[in-house]
Amino acid sequence: MSGPSRIARGLLTDPAKAVSFRFDGRTLQGLAGDTLASALLANGRRLLGRSFKYHRRRGIVTADKGEPCALVDVIGEAGREPNQPATAVLLSEGLHAVSQNRWPTLALDLLAVNDWLGRFLPAGFYYKTFMAPGWAWERVYEPLIRRAAGLGRLEGRLGDHAAPAEIVHDHADVLVVGAGSAGLTAALLLGSAGLRVLLAEQDIVLGGGTLLDARWTSWRADACARLASLPNVRCLPATTVLGAYGHGTFGALETLTAQERARFRGLRERLRVLRARRVLLACGAPERLIAFPGNDVPGVMLAGAAHAYLRRYGVAVGRRPAFFVNNDEGYAGALALAAAGIRAAAIIDARPDACAAARAREAGLEVLCDASVSGVLGRRSVRGVRVMLPDGVSRSIPADCLAVSGGHSPATALACQLGAPLRWQEAIAAFTADLPAAAGRSAGAARGIFGAAAAARDAEHAARALAAELARPAPEGAAWLPWPADPAATPVRALWEVPGRGKAFVDLQNDVTTEDVRLACREGYEHVEHMKRFTTCGMATDQGRSGGLVASAVLAAARGVPLSQVGQSRPRPFAEPVPFAALAGGEVGSHYKPRRRLPINDWHERAGATFVSTGLWLRPLVYSAESGWEPVLAEARAVRRAVGVTDVSTLGKIDVQGPDAARFLDFVYANSFSTLAVGRARYGIMLREDGMLFDDGTTARLGPEHFLLTTTTANSAAVLEHLEFHLQAVRPQLDVVLTDVCDQWAQFAVAGPRAREVVACLAGDLDLSNHAFPFMAAAEASLAGIPGRLFRISFSGELAYELAVPARGATAVWEAILAAGGPHGIRPYGLDALNTLRIEKGHVTTAELNGNTTAADLGCAHLLKKSGDFIGRTLAARPGLLGTDRLQLVGVRPADRSRRLRNGTQLVTSAARSASLGYVTSCTPSVELEGWVGLALLAGGRQRIGSRLLGVSPVHGETTELEIVSPHMLDPENARVRA
Amino acid sequence: MSAPDSAHAAAAGIRLASLPANIVELAALRSRSVDLGRLAAARGLALADFGHITAQSPGLTLSVRPRRWLLLTAAASGQGGATAWQEAAAGCGVAVDLSSALAALVLSGPAVRDMLARSCRLDLAAEAFPDGRAAATIMVQVSVILAALGGAMLLLTPATTARHVHEWLVTTSQPFGLALAPQLSPADLSGDNRV
Repeated sequence: MSGPSRIARGLLTDPAKAVSFRFDGRTLQGLAGDTLASALLANGRRLLGRSFKYHRRRGIVTADKGEPCALVDVIGEAGREPNQPATAVLLSEGLHAVSQNRWPTLALDLLAVNDWLGRFLPAGFYYKTFMAPGWAWERVYEPLIRRAAGLGRLEGRLGDHAAPAEIVHDHADVLVVGAGSAGLTAALLLGSAGLRVLLAEQDIVLGGGTLLDARWTSWRADACARLASLPNVRCLPATTVLGAYGHGTFGALETLTAQERARFRGLRERLRVLRARRVLLACGAPERLIAFPGNDVPGVMLAGAAHAYLRRYGVAVGRRPAFFVNNDEGYAGALALAAAGIRAAAIIDARPDACAAARAREAGLEVLCDASVSGVLGRRSVRGVRVMLPDGVSRSIPADCLAVSGGHSPATALACQLGAPLRWQEAIAAFTADLPAAAGRSAGAARGIFGAAAAARDAEHAARALAAELARPAPEGAAWLPWPADPAATPVRALWEVPGRGKAFVDLQNDVTTEDVRLACREGYEHVEHMKRFTTCGMATDQGRSGGLVASAVLAAARGVPLSQVGQSRPRPFAEPVPFAALAGGEVGSHYKPRRRLPINDWHERAGATFVSTGLWLRPLVYSAESGWEPVLAEARAVRRAVGVTDVSTLGKIDVQGPDAARFLDFVYANSFSTLAVGRARYGIMLREDGMLFDDGTTARLGPEHFLLTTTTANSAAVLEHLEFHLQAVRPQLDVVLTDVCDQWAQFAVAGPRAREVVACLAGDLDLSNHAFPFMAAAEASLAGIPGRLFRISFSGELAYELAVPARGATAVWEAILAAGGPHGIRPYGLDALNTLRIEKGHVTTAELNGNTTAADLGCAHLLKKSGDFIGRTLAARPGLLGTDRLQLVGVRPADRSRRLRNGTQLVTSAARSASLGYVTSCTPSVELEGWVGLALLAGGRQRIGSRLLGVSPVHGETTELEIVSPHMLDPENARVRA
Repeated sequence: MSAPDSAHAAAAGIRLASLPANIVELAALRSRSVDLGRLAAARGLALADFGHITAQSPGLTLSVRPRRWLLLTAAASGQGGATAWQEAAAGCGVAVDLSSALAALVLSGPAVRDMLARSCRLDLAAEAFPDGRAAATIMVQVSVILAALGGAMLLLTPATTARHVHEWLVTTSQPFGLALAPQLSPADLSGDNRV
């Protein structure tokens, strides 16, 4: 018998619970606790997929999330999830997985022809090969390459299977990353000191490397029990820290257990934002491969993985495995398999001798020292290895798999993201990164201290230092059982590549070979970052975990410089793929963005309003479900001929009080407010610091030191921020209190020739005659019995009043207005009718107040104070803002009144001339004038009033002759508003 | 905090109640905070320290902005009206009625802080945000004020976005076991009446 199989009970598997699953349509059996990879190995399956470019057969290389080869599509209720590492997919009843990147079948993949054509497909071949003709790249070459390359495929169905997701914020004094012997020790000590600790471990169980050593079983169980008893320590298994973002912020991705998934509505991953005062990186040192011909044949895997499959799942990765190592840790799997009755074909050690070699020989294993594997026998799977002996003799050894260990590279990604420089350590043939003390510490294998006990000891020292820095010194003595001693070890010997015929891979997922790296160097991509981008080495989902340093070493050899000089490519977040759903968190669907609802939103709904989103607000557009202009014009017509009421509660409202309130308003507005009498309102314009027009609105003086300022709906928050900034930073000497009262007050505009009669019914004894309450008057008033404020201001161009009442009483007042207006034919009107009315009148909104216009452009220059300082005064006087050829506000009407206008129509002098002189900003059919009317920004516009231009709308294929008129197309004398 | 989220049995639950209240914002004019404090004390209210909330009859005071306090009293009590405060505070402070501007919700139950951590960036662990603390922050893209009091969490949010926040709270609380509780009054968060 040969091949992998289950031979023992694993730490994580339950032999009493069989689990059925399907792979490539075939139903197989595994055990509860298996991963898909361990279950497939237990079923004798080695071939799991095809490689990215060459479509070479690929098997399982690792036993963790960093798997480069065994990627599969998992098909579940949520759809098809591509590129899932079989090594991390937990087996569940009915799991359905399929291999990817093959056609038609995994065993017979016709695209494997790429492998035979490999010499013509080196790194970057498509940059050079598909140069001409230029048009063919997007239409032919790229589509073909994309079809041929790549791994899994996304489900065509989009948008309807968004999984529930959430983002959770966590805080701690210390974040411990990794729960091996070092992480557990550090968490215990820091927890004992009373510090709040988060312990994040990417594995589903705590223990790290100690899980593979039976001597550590009781220590680990005791440590976990002690941690569970500490209320200030929180363990996060199945949580990978994805990146470090400075200021103690880290991102982590948690994979939920089946139980948690059921509880959280099917949630699969949870993105955690971790904030900690310090971090302790105990994230270990991933094992690396060795580059030799055939190092990707199914059956070649990392030695640590072979050990893990045996210990965790009871699976022997082969009946006659060979081992190729350059370090003592690589022997552990061979010794464990031997103890389980699986005798290694041979252990090939690149070093002349080693402590572990002696132990292996004592166990009866053959060890070939000072030797190397120069090739693999077999294409479909490993049949044996070709060994180069020290005397130069080549020997073939039959084997059914090959476990490789090229040493261990400390996990430096998080440390580098926190600013730690890489340091070459000759003794371990790897780079380490020492964290800045202000950020935290690295400990154990993460800083090159190998051996579980040595790592734990190192972590204890680091944790004690951190505890002292955080003013919570740890108690003396150990809070854990004694650590089992580390066996004597011989140092690693650097071995990166064994030369030979055939492809030797440094990046198994992106199909990057040693020859590709050398090609990059020959073509001038000598820097490791350039080599990475030329070859795509390290850019796959595994982020070059097992081969990145090997590629650097090959590059160093090609350049003829030491590896320390080449370095490693800079690691960036994320450490592993993150679903977009996890990044979006819960802010999807109805929670995608907030909705601001008007105080009488429910009334508008009941009245059948069609709503429109304006910013965050939901506003009634028109009180009709019918499309077209007629319902809008009916509402606007009611205002022009009788009376209408509209909800203007969205206007920004800022309460300004204090002894210096008037002085402050004089500063923030371009016109004066200190001269405004109590009980009166004034239209004001506000400039930005650069002199451009910022916002407009009316401000009423309610008392000697009390003003109510209104803003446009769109600029409500921006104006408040602007005022707060200038009050706190520019005029801090002014004693003023600003309060946002937008949500406090509902505000309704009653407009039309009959408005006075309607409001008189609601305002009690208040005299609304023109003399007593003239245009721009303001007063506290009881409105329909509710204390409120009444303003005589108009946006529609008609006699109008705005009634402001506390939002809680809004519905009663709104209904009272409608009742009082009933005899006069009152109608509620929406945003579209409001727009029609204001365009006819020539009032501007954000379409014209667009950040590029000045007061002069919009015809408001006369409002600017002649003396006294105000924001924007100096820069508003720039010559470029004073030119008469600037875009200026004008009115436009089609010469042929039957033609319509469109927003965005460009204004030109003749159809042949393409240069635009301006454009239509707003337009509407008119209720008062014949045909359509619009506002436009036109170069030198005021001088062109009375002339004609062409309006061109290329989008609609329309050209219309337009009359340029005054923007005040209706009642320019303001007789109506003062009626 | 020692246990992962799953340790909270769904049955443990979160109780969500609305808290109708009169809300007045008091702001001290320059260098008049002490005078305003004395004025409030004379009216039976101790103004909370910055970043804190205090509960006493007739209501709650909390401060999340320098020299500013929110006063919450029972909606039907007739006490604590802005007009009365404005007149009393003339010369040393400003009072603005925000009763309609802010919606007040009260969340209680053992999983409240875990649930709020789904959107709140503040450290809400009991040791970092104990009873009596208050802070302004952003949750679900909306400004909110959170205050821990009597084992519960008071949440104030602008009225126009209150439905958005409420819907999010209801959705997010489901896995923890949500119970919608009857309306509360500020008095329920103080003294022996704590929820």
